[in-house]
Amino acid sequence: MIKTFTLLLSSLTTLLALTNLEVAQKSDDVMSGFKDSSSIMSMQLINARGQEKTRTMAMKVLEGDGEDKSLMEFLTPADVKGTKFLSYEHTQKDDDQWLYLPALKRVKRIASKNKSGAFMGSEFSYEDISAFNVKKYKYSGDAKEGLLNKKAVYIGKSVPISKYSGYTKLKTWIDKETFLVQKIEYYDRKKQLLKTAIFTNYKQFGTINRIGKITMKNIQNDKTTILTWSNQKINTGLKSKDFHKRYLKK
Amino acid sequence: MRKTLLLALTSSLLLGEVEISGHFDITSQFYLTKPDSKHQNSFTAKQILELKYEKDEITAFVKLYAQEAYYDLKGSSEQTKRSFARIDEAYLKYDRDNDAFEIGKSIKFWGALELRNIVDGFNPNELRDDLFITNKLGVWNSSYTYFTDNGEFSVILKLFEQDQKMAESPYVYYIFPDAVNYNHNLSTSKGELRPSIYLTYSGSTDTQYPIDYAFIYENGYDSQRYFSQVVNNPYSYVQNAYLVEKFMTYNTMVIDATLIKLEALYAVVKDDLYVGDYSHVALGLEHTLEDIYDGSSLGLISEYYRYDTYEDNKYTDLQLFETMQNDLFIGARYSFNNTNSSSIIGGVVYDLEYIEQTYYAKYESQIADNFKLEVDYYFIEPSKKEKTAFSLLGQHQRVGVNVAYYF
Repeated sequence: MIKTFTLLLSSLTTLLALTNLEVAQKSDDVMSGFKDSSSIMSMQLINARGQEKTRTMAMKVLEGDGEDKSLMEFLTPADVKGTKFLSYEHTQKDDDQWLYLPALKRVKRIASKNKSGAFMGSEFSYEDISAFNVKKYKYSGDAKEGLLNKKAVYIGKSVPISKYSGYTKLKTWIDKETFLVQKIEYYDRKKQLLKTAIFTNYKQFGTINRIGKITMKNIQNDKTTILTWSNQKINTGLKSKDFHKRYLKK
Repeated sequence: MRKTLLLALTSSLLLGEVEISGHFDITSQFYLTKPDSKHQNSFTAKQILELKYEKDEITAFVKLYAQEAYYDLKGSSEQTKRSFARIDEAYLKYDRDNDAFEIGKSIKFWGALELRNIVDGFNPNELRDDLFITNKLGVWNSSYTYFTDNGEFSVILKLFEQDQKMAESPYVYYIFPDAVNYNHNLSTSKGELRPSIYLTYSGSTDTQYPIDYAFIYENGYDSQRYFSQVVNNPYSYVQNAYLVEKFMTYNTMVIDATLIKLEALYAVVKDDLYVGDYSHVALGLEHTLEDIYDGSSLGLISEYYRYDTYEDNKYTDLQLFETMQNDLFIGARYSFNNTNSSSIIGGVVYDLEYIEQTYYAKYESQIADNFKLEVDYYFIEPSKKEKTAFSLLGQHQRVGVNVAYYF
């Protein structure tokens, strides 16, 4: 009898368990649907000796199905003020990216094949800051349950599909109740732990969540980058034409 | 009194919406190899002030530039006439949904290559400054632009051709022999008020290997100039501007981590006694390697430039001082991707025809929140067999340091 009950319970648990793909999809769902957003992003760079530099940027994002468009303008430091970065993300081909250099009034095309490149001198790579899409990763098996800071979480793993990714594996801690990402460990091409990102200060807009702070620590070089968003607004009515190349020069 | 107060209040409210930025910098250059008659060094202070006002669809922008050279503060025999102030930009822009109208003085950029942009001839370059840097003069013009989904079409009217002043000897980059003086009054074939018209079309393809393309047609004064002696004064030279019909294009294609760049132009010269039709083509490759060491990246660059003239008994590249007539550039850019945004760019330019070499390297980095440092080095080995522009300069070696404060 006890054996039968244990077997039944075990089967039920297996049936109720979520796969890694399902957890990732639910996590994507609670962050999607914002249509567009505008915010001020602060990027705090801390080197291994503890020296700090801060850059601030005005950001606009237009949501697509994994193909977001974003326009970023540097506000500080003064020597890069007015520098703009325009990106059209794609799932089936490389992203389109342009950089505007105000001192020369020049728009430069950027090759975006290598996604592992550092984003503006930070510990974030271009693939870290691009829109999350489950189609960009391979998932297998069920998500494990565990605890992170006494919170129940799903612990999952995913493998980037792009051969140009800088990672071989991502280990993810996702809140079991809210499905918001709490932590990600990034493993490099040598399968060594490279970076750890902690996600905090989520802001809720109705049923939609937006991240407020990401602390990215590079385990191998001991550098840290903290991204903090403020003045976040969503669904402001931005259109595709607001991300035309003309706005780089405006 | 009330009126004065109202005016002051309105002004301060308006000023409150004006965005002010700019920088102040000091450049010291030391010429390790140079002609005996030239200065051994130069010290130059520059200030750039930008004011921007935006309200709804209107943008007003002003950029002021001032330069003071150390030797101009000394006795007359030492002066190089390199101290001046100028308005680089002062324009009004009206931006609507699908079109924009702009009038005033402005600076434009055309091009795709790294070493030299052969199609970037809308604005003349300042001849009272370091000849190895881009320091453009604003041009009075008006333009209308219509925007499509992936591109834009513009009609630009350059309103007149301006004179170009030049530094004087003993400044090392005074290009004429010491006994020759330069008369800055521009000589034009149809008068300075003859406008130049430009039609431009640019856009991007949404293809597997995307291309940014631009095509430009010009009817007006050429950006290439030549010098001639002033009548009855063999020791004085003027700059000459002549009319052309010019077809230009600049393009960048992205293939994986490689950029393929093309700039080309063909000029049909209208009835000039000395200059005939010519073409200039340049092809470039830029490949970036990411994460070389601790997040740094390395860009490998190679560019080839070819200039040809098509009429006999007219000036060739040598008389026109064209330095990139059959030249190969091999260079690299190393970005440290550190908190100071440090980078090193350097390379060598080989003149395959006249056997000249130019080696250069530049390091730049933030040194504090609002301060930036640049250090550069140039070495030029001019042609020994032909009278090229660099042979007039002689063998040249310099080290430069620039410290800038941004606000």
